[in-house]
Amino acid sequence: MDIPVIEPGVIPPDHVAPDALQGIRRQQTNPKRWDGAGWTEFAEVLRSAGIEVVEQPSLRGTFATDAGGTAYGMPHGVVIARSAVQVADLLRAAQAHRVPVTARGGGLTTEGESVAFGGVLLDMTGMSRVLAIDREGLTVRTEAGIFWHSLAEVLRRQNLDYLSAPLNLTSSVGGTLGVGGIDVNSARLGCSADQAISLQVVTPTGEIVECSDTQNPELFQRVILGYGQFGVITEATLKVRPYTPLHLHYLYYTSLRTAIEDLQLLDRNDASDYSGILTMMDKVVNLLVAFDSDAREAAFMTAWRARLRGHGEAAVALRMAAYYALHPWRLGEALFLYERRRKLFPEFRRAEYTRGGVMFDRTVVFSRAVWKFWGGRQMVIPDLAASEEKFVEAVLRGNAVCRKYFRHYTLYCVGIKLREDHRAHYELSCVPPDARERAYGCEFEPMIGDQVIARDRLQSFKNEIYDIGVELGTSYYRFGGMMKGYVRRVFGDALVDKHLAHKRRADPAMILNRDVIF
Amino acid sequence: MAAGQRGYEACTGCSLCLLACPVWRATRDIRLTPHGRARALQCGATADELAASIDACTLCGACEPACPQDIGLVAMITGLRAELARHAPARVASVRDRMNDRMAARFAGSAAEIRLLPDRALAADPVLLGRVARLFGGDGKVSVAADDGSDIALALEAGAEISEARLERFLVPLRGARRLIVGDGMLVRALRGWLPAVRIESLGVAATCTAAVRDRLRASDLYVIEPRAYHADQERLVKYYDALRLALGCSMNLDLQRLAIPTTAGCLPAALGRSSVDVRDQARWILEGREFARIVVEDLNDIAAYTAVTDKPVVHLAQLI
Repeated sequence: MDIPVIEPGVIPPDHVAPDALQGIRRQQTNPKRWDGAGWTEFAEVLRSAGIEVVEQPSLRGTFATDAGGTAYGMPHGVVIARSAVQVADLLRAAQAHRVPVTARGGGLTTEGESVAFGGVLLDMTGMSRVLAIDREGLTVRTEAGIFWHSLAEVLRRQNLDYLSAPLNLTSSVGGTLGVGGIDVNSARLGCSADQAISLQVVTPTGEIVECSDTQNPELFQRVILGYGQFGVITEATLKVRPYTPLHLHYLYYTSLRTAIEDLQLLDRNDASDYSGILTMMDKVVNLLVAFDSDAREAAFMTAWRARLRGHGEAAVALRMAAYYALHPWRLGEALFLYERRRKLFPEFRRAEYTRGGVMFDRTVVFSRAVWKFWGGRQMVIPDLAASEEKFVEAVLRGNAVCRKYFRHYTLYCVGIKLREDHRAHYELSCVPPDARERAYGCEFEPMIGDQVIARDRLQSFKNEIYDIGVELGTSYYRFGGMMKGYVRRVFGDALVDKHLAHKRRADPAMILNRDVIF
Repeated sequence: MAAGQRGYEACTGCSLCLLACPVWRATRDIRLTPHGRARALQCGATADELAASIDACTLCGACEPACPQDIGLVAMITGLRAELARHAPARVASVRDRMNDRMAARFAGSAAEIRLLPDRALAADPVLLGRVARLFGGDGKVSVAADDGSDIALALEAGAEISEARLERFLVPLRGARRLIVGDGMLVRALRGWLPAVRIESLGVAATCTAAVRDRLRASDLYVIEPRAYHADQERLVKYYDALRLALGCSMNLDLQRLAIPTTAGCLPAALGRSSVDVRDQARWILEGREFARIVVEDLNDIAAYTAVTDKPVVHLAQLI
């Protein structure tokens, strides 16, 4: 590896991961703020077009950071998106005046991707209404700034549901389609981005274009999983399905490897409708298995349950008790796990959401728990996205890094079914190039709570996780923003340069979501 | 702020409060939401700079149980309104005048163990008020407050100062009660703090505990929960209403988070004609996709809102008996 000489503004070698940060400029982890040249004239152009530009500092500060809480930047002004025409006017003016535009939905990025380091912050939640539901065709047309949960609220009144979406109430549809979107049914239904049938996109030069697999397919390929580089998604037509509650089972493991092997066994054999792993450290590994119908549940119980090596809650509790009896110096960890279980489990079993092993509104249950127990002022969630074959090693090595850095953390693992006809969408995305039928993702999330941890330490942690990916040849879900130093290391110069050329053609002034990837 | 609640400093910007906020639903403008206010305050905004946002809030309280950081969002608004009132006393002059005009409180039949504190709309309808009183046992068992405290509820909502003397006149007759049934959701929350020794129930919960009401509720009803009292005690009441819904089979104005969707009909911005929420639009949203033969409301203010958008009968709880 060609490591440049350390110079001012470059992070020096890190004692935890000796060469994790060498060669990655600090400005790449926190972009230089745009200098504001021509802002006044630009803002005036917008106002004369009837576009409200919010410049009051305290209100701009509403958008100063994202869910990660480690990247901070102030836009010069905020525009609340109201229509595709308005967004087009904005982008045309931004091209002409070379003003950066950062599009933001739920702001749930963790690496500063939806933070504006100057320029305009385009708040897409202003465009968040459901436009039409086709009950026969099972599709919905919606403005793309809508939160998945708000979409679910509207669909449920028609007894419908989306197919797959992040287990987070405030992810936006547009933001998700730009990066992927993983649910506990993604092993069966694919990522959220693969559910999109067609999109209305405003290109960086301000054209309003409808695109799909058959209409302007090149733009569709670029925008889906395109990390916001090739246009602002203003509307989306998505597949929907009849709503069903979940028939839910939890299996518990004390071995990560065994749990992952069982997860992959289930996925390979289409033995469940929902599957995923959520851990408490690496001591109690919870494999969630769920079904949309009694028939699917019965088939699982007959054909697969006995082949899985997971235990019931009581059995795993006994095993844990025996383990900690033999390892009394780890009593602190045992108490943490006990306390965690005591608080967390009732949240997953609230009577108003769960009855007789059937869970209603899974996203509400999981998302509320995520924000309540994992949410905080800082959130870092480095991840590894690997082929089925490499996944166990990737998770085990990532787990070891978590152990090294943090006392408490959680892993979340799911499969993602791939669409062969969407291979072109997956270039320069979270989907690793060597994954065939299915990819797997694992998020490594330290439980920070109300602590504030030095950004450089968090960056070292993330880098050490991502270094595993470089070595194994995996991909990542979050490779933008502060992690973009890895883009070339992971994808290689040829692929990155190809996409950079596309970007330069599509966005001559390089204004849209600058510094996220390019 | 209630014990255990945190201040705006704790906001992480998760946006969960937006999902239940009627103002956000109507405007899609984050500046007018709890998230927008908390983040702006973190960045040094003053109450005056946020006046439009502070005034827009309907105080339905849905954001508070939605907040995973346990931020006292209702207290945040009332506190900010109080700050605005200190800077510009004219904002609440009419509220203050109303309070000064109040007579000393008294109860008819104050020996009764149950005290009924109707909200302003119910107090203005003696026939319906009589029905509500009979629901809880009638004369001898229940006494109806002569002082409904509606000026105090309004002051709480507006951020106007409540003088100690006025508050004391209001509370003295209530202190002897074993059980206090309160019609105004804004007062339910406050009275729990002022009278910790008294069992305080919302009118809706108290009424649906009676066989007379339960027997008359039907599976085909859409039952509309009064949001303020519900959200003030959502952790407990979500279980109560869920059990009621299961027992009766009726539907309710709950969203997927089990928060009560408000019409916002009785809120201060609506009363002042300055609400950014269209009450009829909210009522339509509550009814969208729901099958029902009749609407039963806990809050009299909701009747007009629903009547305007549906031909189906709309009745108050007390009209069931």
